[in-house]
Amino acid sequence: MKKTPVIHVVDDDQAFQTAVSRLLRAAGYEVQCYTNAGNFLIADYDGAPGCILLDVRMPGPSGLDLQQALSMQIEPMPVIFISGYSNVPITVQAMKAGAMDFLTKPVQRKALLNAVENALAYDAKRRVVREQLKSWQECFERLTPRELEVFEGVIAGKLNKEIADELSAAERTIKAHRAQVMTKMRAGSLAELVHIADQLQASGIGPANALNPTII
Amino acid sequence: MEQTESRNSLFPRNGDIQTIGQAGTEGGFRGLNQRAVLSGLLACIGYYLGTKVGLALTFHPHPVSVMWPSNAILLTALLFNPPRVWWFLLLCVFPAHLITQLQNHIPPTMSVCWFISNSTEALIGAAGIQFFLGSSPRFESIRSIGVLFLCGAFLGPFLSSFLDAAFVSLNHLGQEGYWRVWWMRFWSNVFAALILLPAFATWLSKPFKSLLHRIPPKRLFEAGVAFAGLLTVTMLVFCRLESGPASIAALLYTPLPFLLWIAVRFGPMGTSMAVLSVALLSIWGAVHGRGPFVSAVPEENALSIQVFLSVVSTTLMFLATSIVERRQAEERFTKAFRSSPDATFVTRLKDGHIVEMNERCERLFGFQRAEIIGQSIYDLNIYLSKGDREQIVAGTSAGNGLHDLALRLRTKNGELIHTLVSADTEDIAGEQCLITSIRDVSDRRRAEEAQQNLAHASRLAVVGELTAMIAHEINQPLGAILSNADAAEMLLQSGSPPLGEIREIISDIRKNDLRADEAIRRIRNLLRKREIQMERLDVNDTVSDVLRLVAGDAQLRHVQIRRELAPGLSPVFGDQVHLQQVLLNLIVNGMDAMDDVPETMRLLDVRTSSNADRYIEISVADRGHGIAPEQISQIFELFFTTKRNGMGLGLSIARSIIEAHRGRLWVEANSDGGVTFHFTVPIIEDDVAADFRQRRGLTGG
Repeated sequence: MKKTPVIHVVDDDQAFQTAVSRLLRAAGYEVQCYTNAGNFLIADYDGAPGCILLDVRMPGPSGLDLQQALSMQIEPMPVIFISGYSNVPITVQAMKAGAMDFLTKPVQRKALLNAVENALAYDAKRRVVREQLKSWQECFERLTPRELEVFEGVIAGKLNKEIADELSAAERTIKAHRAQVMTKMRAGSLAELVHIADQLQASGIGPANALNPTII
Repeated sequence: MEQTESRNSLFPRNGDIQTIGQAGTEGGFRGLNQRAVLSGLLACIGYYLGTKVGLALTFHPHPVSVMWPSNAILLTALLFNPPRVWWFLLLCVFPAHLITQLQNHIPPTMSVCWFISNSTEALIGAAGIQFFLGSSPRFESIRSIGVLFLCGAFLGPFLSSFLDAAFVSLNHLGQEGYWRVWWMRFWSNVFAALILLPAFATWLSKPFKSLLHRIPPKRLFEAGVAFAGLLTVTMLVFCRLESGPASIAALLYTPLPFLLWIAVRFGPMGTSMAVLSVALLSIWGAVHGRGPFVSAVPEENALSIQVFLSVVSTTLMFLATSIVERRQAEERFTKAFRSSPDATFVTRLKDGHIVEMNERCERLFGFQRAEIIGQSIYDLNIYLSKGDREQIVAGTSAGNGLHDLALRLRTKNGELIHTLVSADTEDIAGEQCLITSIRDVSDRRRAEEAQQNLAHASRLAVVGELTAMIAHEINQPLGAILSNADAAEMLLQSGSPPLGEIREIISDIRKNDLRADEAIRRIRNLLRKREIQMERLDVNDTVSDVLRLVAGDAQLRHVQIRRELAPGLSPVFGDQVHLQQVLLNLIVNGMDAMDDVPETMRLLDVRTSSNADRYIEISVADRGHGIAPEQISQIFELFFTTKRNGMGLGLSIARSIIEAHRGRLWVEANSDGGVTFHFTVPIIEDDVAADFRQRRGLTGG
């Protein structure tokens, strides 16, 4: 069910666009071309993996403008800038905003393909992480309120007995809840559970941060 | 007015008449100035003495004088005074006339009649001369002497003699017939005028005193010898020699060598004096029965003296004047030659031998005049190639001379100088010579080069600000080429290469290569250091080219450039690159001015239009921060800048470029913020433009 990655080429120079898309197609990639930033924004690229080859100077919004607009999205595609001209301020601005690479025309084939490969790898890796997180989140959302309380207690490093005291429950009951949490969260070990909790917390959805002393 | 006239007065300085003392007492006469009064007085005395002399030079018993000086004296008096005082002069002379006539027992009616005819003669002569020569004539040219003789010595006597003869007939004086009287009166007056008028006119038309102390002693001595010789010979021949068989006619010519000497050396003034002396002595001799003019009949003697001296006087006066004229022309030429700010030298046309060279020439080339006169110009090695002089000679062959041929020449110490050479051929001392005049324009050339360097520097500065544009222009097609080539290579590596696509790729590569080439050429044109090359241009094309160049930069700086180009503009005569530079400058300035303006308001309007005065106007309007009113006068000055990184070259260079195009560059504040720079370039004249359009049409079709 894995989709083939698409390289989105956004460049107002038709000749360069054609040339670079020929090269990328020859290298086995799927390519989509856009002559300006607006066209790209309104295009439906269907959440497929890929990256963006973005020109800096274009009529209308510039490449940097587009990059900024994309960064507002939850899952921005990696951006490779490719410009006829670069200077330090523009490059710094682009890299700070999270560009994968900044290439200048004429671009060496190796450099271009490397950059694309890196960007796609980054995109793919991120997608994997995202998938994992998504499944963890799904699991997390299936926990009962009592299980959530036990989860928070466990990742805070508390003993079953302590949790039982806090929740005014029998230690055995807590033990059973704890086993249930491990199963539901598909964690093989306490360490793994803590890692999942961290990831979930980082994404904003997850157990209350028990490590944070203010919560204790 | 009165002061200047009295300062210019000739009579008070005149040394040969001594009754100046009374001038002051007569000065207050109403409507007349001091000069007129003095002239009247002197004319009166002169007229009286003239009559006495005339009477003394009369062959008795014949009633007609050989020379009647009074009329010439009256004419002279009129000649050097304005017509408005002529009535007064005539009035002054009248008593003198009356007295002498009465002394000779002429009836009063006849005296008055003669006065009328004499006055008429003088008036005709004076009016004619003043008409042709103006109010204060100088008798130093052939023309002025010709007018003097024609009007004063011929026309006046000719016309007035009719009157005179009529009066004589009416008063029944003597037994001569009308035409006889006319004939004698005419010749007598012609003769007097020919002998006396030149003397009076030449001496009185020059300030006498200033003349004296300008004469060097050597010349004075020569004059003394010549005149002494002339007088001695004349006296011997005309006054001492007894008439008779011994006084052969050939003796008439003995004074001639001295007369010629004086004519050649002492001009019209000396000549007129010499002729006058000979005339007086010969007449005196003849009257006393001496000299070669004594034949049996007194009338014949009179006539032969008159004819002889008239011919001698006329000939010598013209000879002397032409010599003076020629000498003056030569002096003028020499003076111009010597003081010319241009280095000038004269060489023999056929072989280049140096005949003359002026001081400026010595200084320019570093040669000493003495050491090179007589050498060949080729030996001086000033021409870089032998063909240079041939080119100059060829340039003069059309007849109008050669003007401002730009040539590099070499000085004595080997330095090369930029010059403009003008030349002409001239016959000097019987040989065809080439007068070559050289203007050193090295300084100007250096200034021009400096100006061009400055323009170049400013262009580099502008282009430096446009590096994005340059990189973009070139890298865009290069990027396409490289990626296309890479793609083709990869496609070829596959098992079944798609030949159709590879063909497309190759065609794209060629296209992009040409595109890059064009971009490079455009930028190189802009950067190249070069002289102004005027050609016919379509302003709209020029503007479009620049807008294409700056489009990238404008975009990056979020400046929207709006163009409003008037269609069908007449072509202008200009230098494409320089005009582009000016426009580029103005556009970059406009964009700079809008750096601090919100992006949506960064608008730059570029317009072209033709205005009524046969100019095309191009304007660049921004919405920037504007220019402070106190700075507006300074912005075109060299090294004035309001930019942080500016050099202050752009606008001053821009203005000099536009001025070199005979246009104008100025700035105005906009009512809605920012400024508008305007410049104009004159359009090509109609016929040229029509021709241009036609040719464009032909090549376009």
